[in-house]
Parts: sequence; structure tokens; C-alpha cells
Amino acid sequence: MKINKILIANRGEIAVRIMKTARLMKIRTVAIKTVLEPNAMYLSFADEVFDNTEDVSEIPVFLDIEKLISIAVNTGSNAVHPGYGFLAESAYFAQKCLDNKIIYIGPSPDAIYKMGNKMIARRLALKNGIPMAMGSEGNISNEEEAVKIAERIGYPVIIKAASGGGGRGMRIVRKSEEMERMFITASKEAEKAFNDPSVFIEKYIENPKHIEFQILGDTKGNIIHLGERECSIQRKHQKLLEEAPSCALDINLRKKMGSMAVQIARAVNYYSAGTVEFLLDSDRNFYFMEMNTRIQVEHPVTELITGIDLIEQQIRVANKEPLQIKQEDVKLKGWAIECRINAEDVQAGFAPNPGKIEKLSMPTDSYIRVDTGIQEGSSIVSSYDSMIAKLIVQGKDRKDAINHCKMALDKVWIKGTKTTLPFFRLLVRNQKFLDGTFTTAFIEKDLDRFYYNSEYEEMLAAWLATKLFVDENLQESSIGSGSDNDNDMSPWLLNKRINQF
Amino acid sequence: MNDKPRIDKLYTLSSENRKFSFSLPLRNKIRIGKRVYEVQLKSDEKYGTYILWKNRKYPVEIIRSRQNKYEILFNDISYIFTVETPFSLQRMKVLNSTRVKAEKEIVRAPMPGKIIDVLIREGSTVLRGEPLVILEAMKMQNEIQSPVNGTVTKVNTKANTNVMKEDVLVEIKVE
Repeated sequence: MKINKILIANRGEIAVRIMKTARLMKIRTVAIKTVLEPNAMYLSFADEVFDNTEDVSEIPVFLDIEKLISIAVNTGSNAVHPGYGFLAESAYFAQKCLDNKIIYIGPSPDAIYKMGNKMIARRLALKNGIPMAMGSEGNISNEEEAVKIAERIGYPVIIKAASGGGGRGMRIVRKSEEMERMFITASKEAEKAFNDPSVFIEKYIENPKHIEFQILGDTKGNIIHLGERECSIQRKHQKLLEEAPSCALDINLRKKMGSMAVQIARAVNYYSAGTVEFLLDSDRNFYFMEMNTRIQVEHPVTELITGIDLIEQQIRVANKEPLQIKQEDVKLKGWAIECRINAEDVQAGFAPNPGKIEKLSMPTDSYIRVDTGIQEGSSIVSSYDSMIAKLIVQGKDRKDAINHCKMALDKVWIKGTKTTLPFFRLLVRNQKFLDGTFTTAFIEKDLDRFYYNSEYEEMLAAWLATKLFVDENLQESSIGSGSDNDNDMSPWLLNKRINQF
Repeated sequence: MNDKPRIDKLYTLSSENRKFSFSLPLRNKIRIGKRVYEVQLKSDEKYGTYILWKNRKYPVEIIRSRQNKYEILFNDISYIFTVETPFSLQRMKVLNSTRVKAEKEIVRAPMPGKIIDVLIREGSTVLRGEPLVILEAMKMQNEIQSPVNGTVTKVNTKANTNVMKEDVLVEIKVE
């Protein structure tokens, strides 16, 4: 059976992304229309739209396994693509698809299960000689046990959700007094997010870089890696900017880490696209963190430097085709950077800033790729993530890519909500970022503000406030005539600071 | 009313204590060093409202205006200004010199979300940095911490309630 129609079990930019490749491969697609976003952009990319707006169920359809299976069956879709988030790493969903003779575009349920359970993944890594941070043997049942283990491996430690990912259910603990509170929040958060309160403890690697390897495997046992992505620019474990390759790796280290990544994937007979995440410390030691068994948000940077369409590869592998690319064919060319433009308020600690996107225009150029599911008039709803668009730029080397990024950032035009743009404008001017010496602690430790504004921006904003005040409050008769000499030199930026008002 | 003194200058103060002064009538020419630049406030279908300065467009939005207080979003960054006349500025200085330090700290929700847990009660003493409530927003749990040392005088929320941005969560008497 070959894939002829794909149900997209997702929304937003990733739904659009999958449908673009499906169209190129002449495969039909079905998208699901929901009551939260009945006019969403992704719907216009589908060959068919399944109207689910009547559904009043509390669970979003993208998390409703029974419903998704029945939609696939009713629309005659013989494959499902889960995208990322939602059910993308649910072994149960993948199995349910297979049980119903629907091709799941992703790895086997067994691989998803084993890598999804962090304790099993740790044991597999250990068995395969993959370097790892010291940690607990299994899940921790209470805070007393947590304190005991933390004392054995030494603080700081990190509590992680056994079924976790994406930073949820994760807490760093620096001393035993904090353990009780952190243990409880992590466990509660894990239960809420993953339906599983189990947590375990690992030695916390201070100031590492987050380096991940893109893996591609087929059902014939071929597994290759497509190089690394540098994802150290993150806040509370949420990635903000990713690049490929990483300036922290040379050919030898890339080879070593890449072959370890392939080896851990091989341990679960991995096929389809996947990502092996490592931490890299300042002495260039690396530690296996986890494997993500899905397509990642940041996959475009790998696509740009390898020229490989990862969604196409996922579909081909799901069709049981053997990989046409061998490890030695993989050549990394140039540099790519992705900025996640989210509806967040960088002046309020990156708090979500949902709202309606009133104006949106993204730059176009040969070195720019934009992946988005948002258009003018779309709303960023708080039930989903806050992403507006991914701005992805290319360059012949890192410096060139950063310059392109700087130019592109000034050409993005978004009105209606605050965005992470001022943060990226700061980043492309930050010395540590330019040097490439930043770590995952960069945002918390190396920045005292999270945004950039040019010299005159505040003055221009003050001029606008003053203009509004004049228009609203002052009649012409109460305004002084002013001397003609003064006319062209209205505002003075006074250095004198007033103490309080 | 004609004997009222005419205003020939406005002082525009930013919330970060920077002071700008503009002579009246307000012109759309600004001198930087020896050069004079034109600033234009424009609006069109494609871009919405924007300011044109040195051949570049900057998106602007008036987020809030109340009396003489303005919150302006300029190129994705918000600024809060208070516009004062020479008289009101003088009055404010006098008021400030006699005002005592605020005694009550009001903790507000920094973002819309759901309260997962309330960790304190009325009468609890709290230290600066101590978590007060857990707020879940966009799938992340956030600790809302006490900005001061003090005693909780009022708890305005409970677990499993939804809150809007800026809702008052807790009031604390500062020590």
C-alpha cells in the first residue's frame, strides 16, 4: 500500500509545511477545521477540509485519538502525519493507526514508546555506551528519596518528567531546601502535561550547549545523521533561535557525536526522521539527553544546509522505500538560522501576548525562508502555542547568515500583538552571540534586558505621546507662540534624571 | 481664561526616568546634532499606523491613554510616558517630596492563565522571591513570586480559577 491521501493531525505552520511537500509529491491532503480557528491559513493548503466545528468536546480534536482515526477512515485517508506537539509522540496513537490499516508517518510505536520513556531511553543509552549525566536508577517516588539521590550525585541536579519533553515537568535544584517544593511542582506539571507524574533526577550540567543531531532512518535498517543543530538560545527550555551547523563542533566531534546519535537510534530500530539531543559542556564532553521521535520545529535549518526535504523523506520511508542518501552523500553547505517569532512580550519576561494579527508582511529574498500558518486577520489563541512565524535565513558562513538575519528582522512587519522580534534584534548585535560562546544559560545570565531599540526610537515614541497630548488637551489659544529660532529643534533629550514621579 | 499663562513647552517623562522636552507649537522636525530630520505620523491600508523617520517605517500603536499618561508601542517595544506642562511638573515635584513610600504591594497576574495552586494564606509572612501562586499559561507553570518581604493581607484568587492579565492576585503589607 502506497500513501495516496494524508490526514494532517495538526494545525498552524507545520500543517502548511507538510501539505506543501505532499502537493509536490502529488499526494492528496485532508486538514481539520476547528471551531477555534475556522479561518486558519492551513485549511487553504489542503485538498479537502474536514469540518469539525460542530465538535463541542473538551479535548481538542488534535489530541482525540478515536476521533482522528474515524476522520481518517471517513475521508479515505490511508496515512496520518502527526506534525509536532499534540499526538506526535504518542506510541498509542501510532499503534492505533496501524491497527486501523492507516500508515503512520513517523517511527514505530515501539521506538516512540522506548524513547518517550526517559528511564528506558537512559538504560538503552547506558547499554550502548553513550555518555550520559549521572542520575537516579529509576523514577523517584518522594522528596526524601530525591534529597538522598541528589546528595549522592551532588548538587545541582535536575528533576525531569519520565514522560516529558519541551521543558515541562523540569526543575533545577541547587540545594536540599528547595527540593520539596521543586519536586512537587515538577511532578504536578508532569502529571498535567503527560498524564504521568513520574520524575527522575540527573546531575545538572552547568552552562552546557544544547546540540542535537538530525537522524534519518528507513525500514531496511539504514540510519544516517544530517549533522547537528545548535539550540542553546532558549528560555525555560523553550528554544527561541536555532542554527545549523554549530560553531562549537569541528569535523571530528561532529563525526563522534553523529555516530553516537546513529547508534542510539539503531538501538530502537529507528526509522523516519528523529532527533537525538545532547548537552555539550565547556570541555567538549557530551551527554545524551533524549531522543525526539518526530519532526522538530527547527527542522528547516537542517533542510537548508543539506538540501534534503525531511517531510519528503518521512513520507518515502513510510512508503517503505529505502533511503537514497548515504552518510557520505551528506554535505553541510553554508549556514542557516531560524528565529521563532512568537506572540510574546519580551518586556514582561516573554509572557504570552495573544491577540489578532492586524498586519503581517514577511520579507522575501533568495536567502530567506518563512514558515508560517498565520496570515493577516488570524488570531493567536491562548489554547495553542504562541508562534506567528519562523524566519529562516541562509548565508555562506555564520557571519553572512547573521548579517542576513539582521536585515531580514528589520523587514518583518507585524501589528496587533507584541512579538519576540526585539529580542532577536538584540541577539544579532550581542558579542557573545556573535562569538558563538553562548550556552543555554545565556538568556538568564548574560542579558540584563531582552530587547533592542535603536538610539532614537524612545525619543520618537515620546514625540508621538506629546503629539497626542497636544491634540487632545491643548487649545491653540493656550499654546505659546514659540520663537521662530526654536521651531526646528523641539525636543531635547535631557540627561538630568528626575528622582521619582 | 485669557490671563492664564500660555504653555510654551511640554515635558514628556518616560517610566524609566528619562525626560524629553518639546517646545510648542509642536513641530514635526527634530534636530539631532547639526542635522534636522522630519518625523511623520502616517497610516495606510498596507502598514496600518506608522512613523516615518530617516526613510524607515516604524510600526506604532497607542495601547492606552488616560489623562496625561500614554502607553505607546513603537517598533514592538512599549513605552509609558507622562506628559507634563511646566506647571504640572512643578506641582508633581512638590507632591513627590512629601509622599511617603508605598506600604502596600499589589501582586498582579503577569499574563492570562489559570491558577493551579495558592501557596500562601492571609496572614502568611513572605520573603522576597518566595512563590505565592502557581499560574499556568500556554502549557507552562509559572511561579508568581513575592516582590517584597511582608505579610499577606489579602488573597484574591483560588486554585482552578482563570485570571486575566493584570488581575490582582495577592496584596502584601510591606515590612
